[in-house]
Amino acid sequence: MEIGLGINSMDLDLYEGHIIEDLKNSAITALPEPSGWLEEEIERNIITTTVDKLLNWGRKTSLWTETSFTACCTFEFISTSSSRFDIARFGMEVLRSSPRHADLMITAGTLTWKMAPQIKRVYEQMAEPKWVIAMGACGISGGIFADSYSVVPGYNRILPVDVYIPGCPPRPEALLAGIELLRKKIEKRSISKGK
Amino acid sequence: MLSEFSLIALFILIVLGFATSLVLIPVALRKLGIVPSQPSAVKSEPYECGLETTGPTWVQFKIRYYFYALLLICLDITVVFLYPWAVELTTLGPAGLITIFIFLGILAVGYLYAWRKGALEWK
Amino acid sequence: MTVELEYNRIVEALPQDLASCVIAVENHGLVIQPERIADIAAFLKVEPGMELDYLCSVTGIDYIRYFEIDYLLYSLKLNHRLTLKVRLTDRSEPTVPSLTGLWLGAELQEREIFDLLGINFSGHPGMKRIFLWEGFPGHPLRKDYSHGH
Repeated sequence: MEIGLGINSMDLDLYEGHIIEDLKNSAITALPEPSGWLEEEIERNIITTTVDKLLNWGRKTSLWTETSFTACCTFEFISTSSSRFDIARFGMEVLRSSPRHADLMITAGTLTWKMAPQIKRVYEQMAEPKWVIAMGACGISGGIFADSYSVVPGYNRILPVDVYIPGCPPRPEALLAGIELLRKKIEKRSISKGK
Repeated sequence: MLSEFSLIALFILIVLGFATSLVLIPVALRKLGIVPSQPSAVKSEPYECGLETTGPTWVQFKIRYYFYALLLICLDITVVFLYPWAVELTTLGPAGLITIFIFLGILAVGYLYAWRKGALEWK
Repeated sequence: MTVELEYNRIVEALPQDLASCVIAVENHGLVIQPERIADIAAFLKVEPGMELDYLCSVTGIDYIRYFEIDYLLYSLKLNHRLTLKVRLTDRSEPTVPSLTGLWLGAELQEREIFDLLGINFSGHPGMKRIFLWEGFPGHPLRKDYSHGH
């Protein structure tokens, strides 16, 4: 099938199939969480602690979420961001579709192997500092679809996840509790230890 | 005489300083290691919703945008003339009103010409 | 209320050459010979009194002994519906004519059935997988599919 630009759509499909198979074969175990730096000992002085406080405050109070939501947990996120549960209290009412502007990826929904290379690529195109919240059972482990032929058993196969929020779907209060945990984690960052 | 513009000179200096500092502060912070910088091959590729781009990414812009920019400049200047006229309307008297309508009439003729010639259509 | 047509009366109303390709009349469907499905559907689409001009869905089912494909046809003008069924016993190379010549809406649904059950539709413009990726081993909705988790 010709789709213009002199490219055959079957070639694109085969190429995509190779990418998906490569990703599936390389994602056998879960990636470790990026939390090792929490335990590191660091040297602190008044300048670094002040800069740390300022940077961490700025980052945790303006987390911009990347809009890469796949399934039902999105609706709980939508509820959280509307007036009753009001995520704007946390400075998070901004949703950016471009990964260059976003710094938080909330994995709201089941991930299939067909979509996995794209989510991974969007994550890689986000600029540091970036965090990932695995929302819902499908985000943590694939949920009730964990044994399926087409579902990735948990986002931590392809992305490093910072906070896990259980639930199917997690209520807005649970999502806000998870965001609060992430903010506490962000508070602990320092410019003098591993980013 | 030049000293009357001292405030404007100060304003220009502040503006230039602000613009350059906005560009230089992130570079300085990156060199100092305060902000993270981890460039990678995938990160510098153009964003296409997670896919690799097919075909050339930098495409030529349509010339139609240029026409609209020209039209905007002309009509924007009209508004610049209308503002002081509107402020001083009462002191100008009826002569002012007639003059401005002649001015707007000339502009309307030009606008109608552009309209009938099809310059406003998007092709 | 969309009324389901009486299948016995439909069979009586078919012309001679098409009536021979009806294998059985069931409660909720007319079982047709696989090779003649396009002819019967074309007749039912334009025949005055039936005018089943809307193909609602094409569904594939694996009943272990045979594959079945159900075609749900609706008439928007006359507000009635009909189900046509096709049964394929060949599990290695099941083939059935495609209905994309009559309804373009069948294109993606037949691709789905090919992707998940492995049934070929002859005459389909561009038969390839739609939900799973090229290179996926097997057809998952077959009863004998297991991916050894």
